[in-house]
Amino acid sequence: MNNWFKSGSPWVWLSAGGVSISLISVLGLLWLIASRGLSYFWPADIYQFDMTDEQGKPLTVIGEIYDRESIPTAQLVHLNLDIDESAETIERLLIKTGNRELVSLDFRWILVPQINKTSLPEELVVIERRTNGNFYGYIEDIILDGEVVGQQKMAELVERVSDFQTEIEALQKTDIGAINYQIERTRLKERKHRLDETLTAELEQAFKDEVASLKAEYQVLEKQLMALREKVSRDQIVVRAMDGQKVTINFEDVLHITFNNKLSVFGKMKLFFSQIAAFIVDDPREANTEGGVFPAIFGTVLMVLLMTVIVSPLGVVAAIYLHEYAGNNALTKLLRIAVINLAGVPSIVYGVFGLGFFVYMVGGSLDQLFYAETLPSPTFGTPGVMWSALTLAILTLPVVIVSTEEGLSRIPSSMRHGSLALGATKAETLWRIILPIASPAIMTGIILAIARAAGEVAPLMLVGVVKMAPNLPLDGNFPFLHLDRKFMHLGFHIYDVGFQSPNVEAARPLVYATALLLVTIIVALNMTAVSIRNRLREKYRMLEH
Amino acid sequence: MISVTPKTLSDQNVKLDLNNLSPEQVALEIKNLDLYYGSKQALQNISMSIPKGQVTAFIGPSGCGKSTLLRCINRMNDLVDICKITGQINLHGENIYDRHTDVAALRRKVGMVFQRPNPFPKSIYENVVYGLRITGENNRRVLDEAAENALRSAALWNEVKDRLHESALGLSGGQQQRLVIARAIAIKPEVLLLDEPTSALDPISTLTIEELINDLKKQFTVVIVTHNMQQAARVSDQTAFMYMGDLIEYSDTNTLFTTPSKKKTEDYITGRYG
Repeated sequence: MNNWFKSGSPWVWLSAGGVSISLISVLGLLWLIASRGLSYFWPADIYQFDMTDEQGKPLTVIGEIYDRESIPTAQLVHLNLDIDESAETIERLLIKTGNRELVSLDFRWILVPQINKTSLPEELVVIERRTNGNFYGYIEDIILDGEVVGQQKMAELVERVSDFQTEIEALQKTDIGAINYQIERTRLKERKHRLDETLTAELEQAFKDEVASLKAEYQVLEKQLMALREKVSRDQIVVRAMDGQKVTINFEDVLHITFNNKLSVFGKMKLFFSQIAAFIVDDPREANTEGGVFPAIFGTVLMVLLMTVIVSPLGVVAAIYLHEYAGNNALTKLLRIAVINLAGVPSIVYGVFGLGFFVYMVGGSLDQLFYAETLPSPTFGTPGVMWSALTLAILTLPVVIVSTEEGLSRIPSSMRHGSLALGATKAETLWRIILPIASPAIMTGIILAIARAAGEVAPLMLVGVVKMAPNLPLDGNFPFLHLDRKFMHLGFHIYDVGFQSPNVEAARPLVYATALLLVTIIVALNMTAVSIRNRLREKYRMLEH
Repeated sequence: MISVTPKTLSDQNVKLDLNNLSPEQVALEIKNLDLYYGSKQALQNISMSIPKGQVTAFIGPSGCGKSTLLRCINRMNDLVDICKITGQINLHGENIYDRHTDVAALRRKVGMVFQRPNPFPKSIYENVVYGLRITGENNRRVLDEAAENALRSAALWNEVKDRLHESALGLSGGQQQRLVIARAIAIKPEVLLLDEPTSALDPISTLTIEELINDLKKQFTVVIVTHNMQQAARVSDQTAFMYMGDLIEYSDTNTLFTTPSKKKTEDYITGRYG
């Protein structure tokens, strides 16, 4: 035994054990998030339960099985149910019944003993809609352009409607949005001239004409839009819900119609991937509990990229100063300690700082100086994507400084001496020799910064993230990148969907799916940076001296 | 006495009187040079003249100050914060320690090669033209020509001409050291300082470098620091023996190794210490 200790094997086992535990916890985390998140996209079977309720009346429940649990029988005794009281527990199922316009809650618990018959009718249909969530039921009639037609026309109808939808969206978002933006800009220009007291009668007339012509354009587009809407509203579908009620749904509202119980495995697979794709490219609906997360993905990536662009030069320059130019004295040491301690400040504190300094002080002053025409509504004096990127840049600055400094100190002095002896100045040596060799270390710092920034939510809630941003920070209107706009973020989206949503049950799988997406995006960003670093390393490989 | 084969005088033109060189024969003049590392004095009142177009060797035991003296000549000691220097080193009659000296320009005139090969992690070509690029030369033809000339002078051209754009770190140690020499002479310095250039190399590479030094003195004044007395005897025209920060003896190599005038020199070259 003693020999075994001396041989060092226990330590090998111990360290291997440590590594395994880390590995298992990482894989377990990914597995949990992935399985819960991805199951959200898998088309579920739609069950029809024929059962008897407490009053002995027959009742039909249609929906997806969402969850199941066992509850003690004793808990139900007082309800006077017709159940076997000798059993210790009773199983109950959580069913997603949808049809939000008919019932207040689209989830309900049913007791297994009350079920008389469970079936999977092939004609059951799931209709995914823009509003009110899913509808489960049977198709009764299809109305095409005001006339009842057979069910076989459905494919044609879906296509027709989706063509209209694309047209409507293009009109609404791109064309009408651009005109609105131009009208607003013209108004601001006029206001600016008025404030500067340079508004002549001629100019005023010119502005008026411009607005008038834009408004005329707007009216034409609006008419087109109305016509399209009118056309679409003539297509309808009549469905029968589980309680026999007939509901007419406008095709305008319909996103997908699927017969889940009819689908083969291949068909489900196809649907599964198209749902994932839709989740990634679509806008959120219904207070973020339905639809996709595209604006959040876009916001996260844009903010991280902006942050990287800001933090890299700043951190590198600071590290160069500390390592190359600052004297080796107490003040430098103090500075270094301060930088390291900065990394330990809680992130919400940075958020408060960002709000107080960047948003109110800097942003407020910018508004006074350059955007006086829009006041009192602020342009930069309000949280926005630029302030978020800046706040996170400050937050991650210590990481970049520390790793850059480490990289600089690892470079053998023979490199500097070699360059200096050839008549290069210190700055030339830095620029041509030292920085290229240190670039892998700089990249390491940037990787760590990205990893930290992409997952940070708390400070962003103060300096720019919102639940729902009407516009992306990047669009087709000059100047294309709107740094003053608020944005959506995946991390905040998880919080919002999971804890602030009115429909927590419905949102749960969405939380996992969004978390999986966030992890994937951070890994992708990191992998890009790592591959850049590896290429730099290969390029500036040093001989071991 | 150890078996030193002093260099024959056949390839030496005239024996120089080191104490009475005419101004045009002098490449460098060191006058009353004192150097302190903090409170410790590392060089004491060194005065010597280094003749033009010849090879001058500094020898002495470890820590005697020979490398320190060499580094004074192109002001590499400036990089050591605690280093303080008094006295003069004159290049073309101008003190390089003058306040107005452009150190970068000085280092272009006084090139240096270090103990260990230190090629930059760039291509062979970019290593050689580095000094020229620093001066702002970007004309491809000029650079190509300078690179070829420097590599030929450093006896490396034939080995690397087909892989000029491959990494310099793929070369052997001896080739790297010749590359570093090529890099130093590409900017056409007047003086070339070699700080124990062969101490990290194998005997064959050492031999190649020593032959190279012989060729180099046709174009440059060479100052070499070596701890290897045979090497000093083989390659140098003048030798200075230093001990504990003092310049003990300085004369032509032949005289120093065969008939040293100081007891300390004799003790050292006969291997009694060091």
